Amino acid sequence: MATRAPELAAGVPALTAERAVTWPKRTHARLSNGLQVVLAEAHSIPKFHGELFFRAGEALISDRAVGLAELTATVLRTGTNARTSRQIEEDLRRLGADLGASAGQDTSAISFAGLSEFAEPLLRLVNELAREAAFPDAEFERERRQKLEEVKLERTSPGFLASERLRKVLFGAHPYAKISPSEAKLAAYKRDDLVTVYREIYTPENALLVLVGDFDPQAMLKLAESVFGSWAGKKPAAKPTPALPQFHGRRVYLVHNPGSVQTQILAGCHAITRKNPDWIPLGLTNSLYGGAFNSRLVMNIREDKGYTYSPRSGVSPLREHGYFSVSAAVRNDVVAASLTEIFYEIDKLRSVPVPEPELADAQNYLSGVFSLGLATQEGLLTQFATSALHELPDDYLETYRDKVRALKPADLLAMARKYFDSANMQIVVVGDRTQIEEQASLFGEVEVYDNQGQRLG
Amino acid sequence: MKSLQIPLETATLANGLRVVVAPDATAPVVTVGVYYKIGFRLEPQGRSGFAHLFEHMMFQGSENAPKMQHIKLINSSGGVLNGSTMYDVTNYYEAVPSNALERVLWLEADRMRALKVDDENLRNQRDVVKEEVRVNVMNQPYGGFPWLDMPPVAFRNWANAHNFYGDFADLDAASLVDVQKFFRAYYVPNNAVLLMLGDVDRKEGLALAEKYFGTIPAGAAPPFANPAEPPQTEERRGNVEEKFGTLPAMAYVLPKRRSAEWYAMALLDQALHGGRAGRIHRELMLEKQIAVEADGGIDDLFGYNGPAQMTTRILHKPEYTAEQTLEAFDAVVREVREKGIGPEELEQIKVKWRSDYYSTLEGGRGGYMPRYGLMHLLACFTLFDNEPQLVNSILDGFLKVKPEDVQAAAKKYLQPANRAIVFRTTVAKNEKEAT
Repeated sequence: MATRAPELAAGVPALTAERAVTWPKRTHARLSNGLQVVLAEAHSIPKFHGELFFRAGEALISDRAVGLAELTATVLRTGTNARTSRQIEEDLRRLGADLGASAGQDTSAISFAGLSEFAEPLLRLVNELAREAAFPDAEFERERRQKLEEVKLERTSPGFLASERLRKVLFGAHPYAKISPSEAKLAAYKRDDLVTVYREIYTPENALLVLVGDFDPQAMLKLAESVFGSWAGKKPAAKPTPALPQFHGRRVYLVHNPGSVQTQILAGCHAITRKNPDWIPLGLTNSLYGGAFNSRLVMNIREDKGYTYSPRSGVSPLREHGYFSVSAAVRNDVVAASLTEIFYEIDKLRSVPVPEPELADAQNYLSGVFSLGLATQEGLLTQFATSALHELPDDYLETYRDKVRALKPADLLAMARKYFDSANMQIVVVGDRTQIEEQASLFGEVEVYDNQGQRLG
Repeated sequence: MKSLQIPLETATLANGLRVVVAPDATAPVVTVGVYYKIGFRLEPQGRSGFAHLFEHMMFQGSENAPKMQHIKLINSSGGVLNGSTMYDVTNYYEAVPSNALERVLWLEADRMRALKVDDENLRNQRDVVKEEVRVNVMNQPYGGFPWLDMPPVAFRNWANAHNFYGDFADLDAASLVDVQKFFRAYYVPNNAVLLMLGDVDRKEGLALAEKYFGTIPAGAAPPFANPAEPPQTEERRGNVEEKFGTLPAMAYVLPKRRSAEWYAMALLDQALHGGRAGRIHRELMLEKQIAVEADGGIDDLFGYNGPAQMTTRILHKPEYTAEQTLEAFDAVVREVREKGIGPEELEQIKVKWRSDYYSTLEGGRGGYMPRYGLMHLLACFTLFDNEPQLVNSILDGFLKVKPEDVQAAAKKYLQPANRAIVFRTTVAKNEKEAT
C-alpha cells in the first residue's frame, strides 16, 4: 500500500548557485479620498495590468440574496451614464484592452489590462464603471436570463455539485455556505437590488487599486489621483457572522447523478485564513500531501494505482475562515479504494514525521514556484493584491522563501495533526447512487441528495 | 507606438536538433521547451489516441531517470512542468529557477536519447488516460464539443478526421512495441527543437545544448502521412447524441498558413469572435439574445501545419431551435460577406491584436508559466517555417491587412462548400453523415 519511493537517478547535474529573487519595489499610497493604491513597475511588455478591488462581496449581502454581488458585477459593464454597452466594448477594443468584473465571497473587482500608451483612457473607463454604472433595464434583464441558463447548466457539472454540497456542510448558517442562487431566487431579483449593492460596495474607502506594468510609478500615481481623486464614499459596515457547525465523526453526502461514468470525490474540514501564522507551514504540508504533482496523493492514486487523472488537495483561504479539501474524479468501482488511500496518506502524515529529503524537495518546490510569478505582470499583480487584501506584513513576499525553508519535520507533523482532521472529515461523492452508495457507506453514515439539493434519503 | 523585439540566438546541432535561445534576465527563472514535430493528426491508423498516450509515457522513465524522476527532479528544483499533444506537435516544457537549467536539459536529453518503460507503466497510464477522457469528455456537459465531434464530420482524410483522444479499444490495443517504434520514428533530434527562454546567457545556452544533446544520434527522416484533404464541394453536416441539451457548431476551413488570405482571415476571425465586441457575441448574445454561449474562433492560429478550422460553438436558449440559431449565425456571416468590415472596426481589431500578441509572448498559460506563448510560437515557426525570427516580424503581416482583404477572405472562405456543421442533439439517432 505504501507510496513507492522513486529510485535516485545517477548523473543528475547539481543545482548551480541560486540567483537572488528580487521583487519589484512597490509604491504604496492613499489618494485624498481614502482609496488605497499599490503600484509596481514591470517592463516585460509595453502593457500594464490593473485591478480595482472592493473589500466586500457575496458574504456581506447573503442575508438578502445569493449571487447578487456577482450579478451586480456582471451588469456593471453594460452601460454608464455616458456610454452604452456597445460603446464600452468597442472602446475597450480600441485601447487594446481586456476588462472583467466579478465578485467572490469577500471581494468585488474590476480587472483590466491594456497597452501602456492608452493607460489614461482605460483608467477613465474603469473609473466610469466604478462610479457611474447605469444598470440599464434591458441589460439587467438579459444578464439575469443569461445567468438563469448558467445556473441550470452548473447543476450538470459534477465539480460544481460537489463544491456546493461541501460548502453547505462545512459552513451551515454562515454566508460562506452558499455559492450559487436557485432559479427561483434569481428570478425574483430586481434591477434596484443591484443598484443598492453597487452603492453599498463600490466606494473608494472600501477600495484597493493595484497597477503593475510598463509605466513610471510617480506619473501613474498622479494619473490615478486625477482620475479617481474626486470620488467620495464610505465603506459598508461589517456584519457579525454565525459560528460554524462542529463535526463529530465522518459523514458521507452522496449527490445522485444517474448514469455517471465516474465519481467526483471531495472531502474537507475547517482550516485557517492567510493571516494565521500557520498559513505557510500548512501550505507546505498540503503541498507535500496533494498540492503538487510530485505529492504523495498523486503518486499513490494516479501514478501507482491509475484510479484518477487529476487528484489534488488545497487550502481555500476565505477572509474569515479557511478550509482544507481533497478532490479526485475516479472510476466508479474504486470509490472505496480511493477514499482508503486518501485517508491512508492523511493518517500517515499525522503519525510519521516526513523524511528530511522529502521535506527538502517540497521546500524547494514551494519556494521556487513562488518566484515563477515574478516573470509576468499578471503574476506580480496576483501576489501584490493577495498581500494587500489579506493585510499580510509588508515583507511577506520577501521573507516567504526563508520561512518555508526554515520548517522542520516536526512542524509538518503538528500541522497535519492540527488541520488534517481525518477522523471528522466530511465526504462528498457525486455519482450514480446504484454504483457507489455501498462503497461510500463504509466511510460514514450516508445522506443522499439529488442534483437540485433535495434530500433523497 | 512601442514595439517589442525579442533577441534570439539560434543554431542547429550536427544531429539536426534545432536550438533557440531567447535571453532576458529580468527575473531569475528560465523556461525550457522541447517540441517534437508529431501530433495526433499523424499518429498511426488503428492506434487512435496513441500520440497522447505516448506523451504520458514520456514521464514514465528514460535511460537514466526512472519513473517519476522527471517530475520529482523538476518539482524539487522549484519548477513546474507539463506536456501536451496538439495536431502537429507534442511539447514538453518546464519553468524553473535558473539555477536548475542544466538539470532540466539533462532530463530532456535523457528522454530524447532513450525511453525506458515497461508493461506496468503502460497499463497504468492507459488507465490514467481513460480517466482523463471520462473527466473531460464523458462526464462533462458538452464535453469534447466540438473539438472531438467536428473532425469526423468535416474531414475525409483519416489523419484529420479520427478521434484524437482515442477509441478505448485502440488504447487497449497499444503495446510496448508500438511505444518504442513511435519513439524511434519521431522522437529523434532531427525532428525536434529545443528552446531556452529567460534567465540564460545566449552563448552559454548554445554551449549547454551541445553538451547535453550533441551526442544523441540523429535518426532517419520521420515518415509523415499526407494530411491534405480532397476538395470539398458542398456543406457537410453531422449529428451527435447529447444528454444535456442541444447546440450546433459551425466550422470553416482556413486558408493556407502564412498566405496573404491567412492574415486577413485571422482578423476576420477577430471581427466575428473577438470577445464581447465581436459580431457573433453582439448579435447572438446581446441583440437577438438567442444564445447562452456563443464563442469560438481559431484556437491556435500559429500552431497548425495542416488543415485547420475557425469554429463557432453556440449554446442556444431552450425556446430556440438549432435551425433558428444557425439562421441567426448565417445572418452575421452574410453581412460580413456582403458589406465587409469598416476601416474603423479594422483599426480597433488591429490594436487589440497587437496587445493580445504581446500578452501571448509574455505568458499565455497562467501567471506561473512565463513565456509559454513565446516558446510555442518560436517552436512552431522553427519546425513549420524554419524561421524563428518570424516571432519579431509576423505582427506586421496582420497590421497591413486592408478592409478589402478581409471582405475578400469572407467571400472566399465563409461559404457553405467550405464548412461543416455538427448538431449535438438529444435525438436518439446518431448519424455520422447527413449529406
